[in-house]
Amino acid sequence: MNGVHDLGGMHGMGPINPEPNEPVFHAPWERTVFGLFITTFAGGHFNVDEFRHAIERMDPAHYLRSPYYEHWLHAMESLLVQRGALTPDEIDGRMAQLAKEPA
Amino acid sequence: MPALPVEEVDGLIATGATARMTDAVEPRFRPGDHVTVRNLNPLTHTRLPRYARGKTGTVEADRGVFCFNDTNAHGQGHKPQHVYGVRFAARDLWGEQAAARDVLYLDLFEDYIEPHGT
Amino acid sequence: MPDTHEDLDTREDDVALRVRAIESLLIEKGLVQPAALAAIVETYETKIGPHNGAQVVARAWTDPAFKARLLSNATGAIAELGFSGVQGEDMVVVENTPTVHNMVVCTLCSCYPWPTLGLPPNWYKSAPYRARVVIDPRGVLSEFGVDLPPEKEVRVWDSNAELRYLVLPERPAGTEGMDAAALAALVTRDAMIGTGVAAAAGAGGAP
Repeated sequence: MNGVHDLGGMHGMGPINPEPNEPVFHAPWERTVFGLFITTFAGGHFNVDEFRHAIERMDPAHYLRSPYYEHWLHAMESLLVQRGALTPDEIDGRMAQLAKEPA
Repeated sequence: MPALPVEEVDGLIATGATARMTDAVEPRFRPGDHVTVRNLNPLTHTRLPRYARGKTGTVEADRGVFCFNDTNAHGQGHKPQHVYGVRFAARDLWGEQAAARDVLYLDLFEDYIEPHGT
Repeated sequence: MPDTHEDLDTREDDVALRVRAIESLLIEKGLVQPAALAAIVETYETKIGPHNGAQVVARAWTDPAFKARLLSNATGAIAELGFSGVQGEDMVVVENTPTVHNMVVCTLCSCYPWPTLGLPPNWYKSAPYRARVVIDPRGVLSEFGVDLPPEKEVRVWDSNAELRYLVLPERPAGTEGMDAAALAALVTRDAMIGTGVAAAAGAGGAP
């Protein structure tokens, strides 16, 4: 698909700004997303091409503005829901429950 | 589906899952061939960047036979085929603003390319 | 769309909460084993990183037979040093020379040779680098503080299929007496992506 992910040759994306001494993960949730991706991929819930295509189907403005591992979260969540491993109601319900507890 | 057991983590990471396939598939192109990238605009998944479509380059390497991402993303099978390392002059991609001697390489599935001049 | 720091923090909190919810549901359903999750994260935070690739480069600089194997069968040669697997299943090594400079990108997503370089830095996965390096590699190099003479050929490798690329940087001058361990300390991550060059002897390497 001719999506926003196909970035080669575009102008106006701004400076590259490498981060000195960058950590592997920038927040605990990024660690979790990475680990969940490997385990659910290994579990056979989706293949890498389905995963990449799920990222490509993100809202383009959201794609450009969100941190990288949010792309992975979006793809993993949408594929797990699509394959019936999770439901949106379960996720909403669990979020509401966890929001009442201390992190 | 079973959860990945902790004792399998190291082996999984050290082995991975190659997309290379053992199917015997005859290559349609050889190193040195001039090829033109097809002007494909599928609504579905593809690993063919827009900037290369319609451009002409030279096959530099036959990378071997791989699972085709474009079909595998949609449950349409592996469609095993040769992938070629194709060299493009930067000026053929970007025009005169590119440096005269610079080049760019892409790995292109056989379905993405046709012989130049056809 | 968030525009203030407060909005961004609120949204980040929401994402973190969503991740915790999904994690706890997957564990509860028996689809994810927490110990496996922890082992994966630990591996990529502590064991796999550019220090692996630096060993490959230093070996190539000191062992011509290894270098020949590395350039003809990269996956096999890299595996000799114990580095293999996820996102390095099919490797290609490209050599910098006095007349050629190589750079690696994935314009479509974030493909990167994990066994030798670890997980990619944010800038490698972000729009500015992916957009620009293919159309203006010399401008990108300048932004990284590397200015190439016009007579040097720049080769950009867009890893759009399942091959993964590692740049073999030029060995810096003045390093003739150094052993592989000392040489490895000069090999930066960016030198193996091609947005940098190996550090001069005595300079140390970062990043």
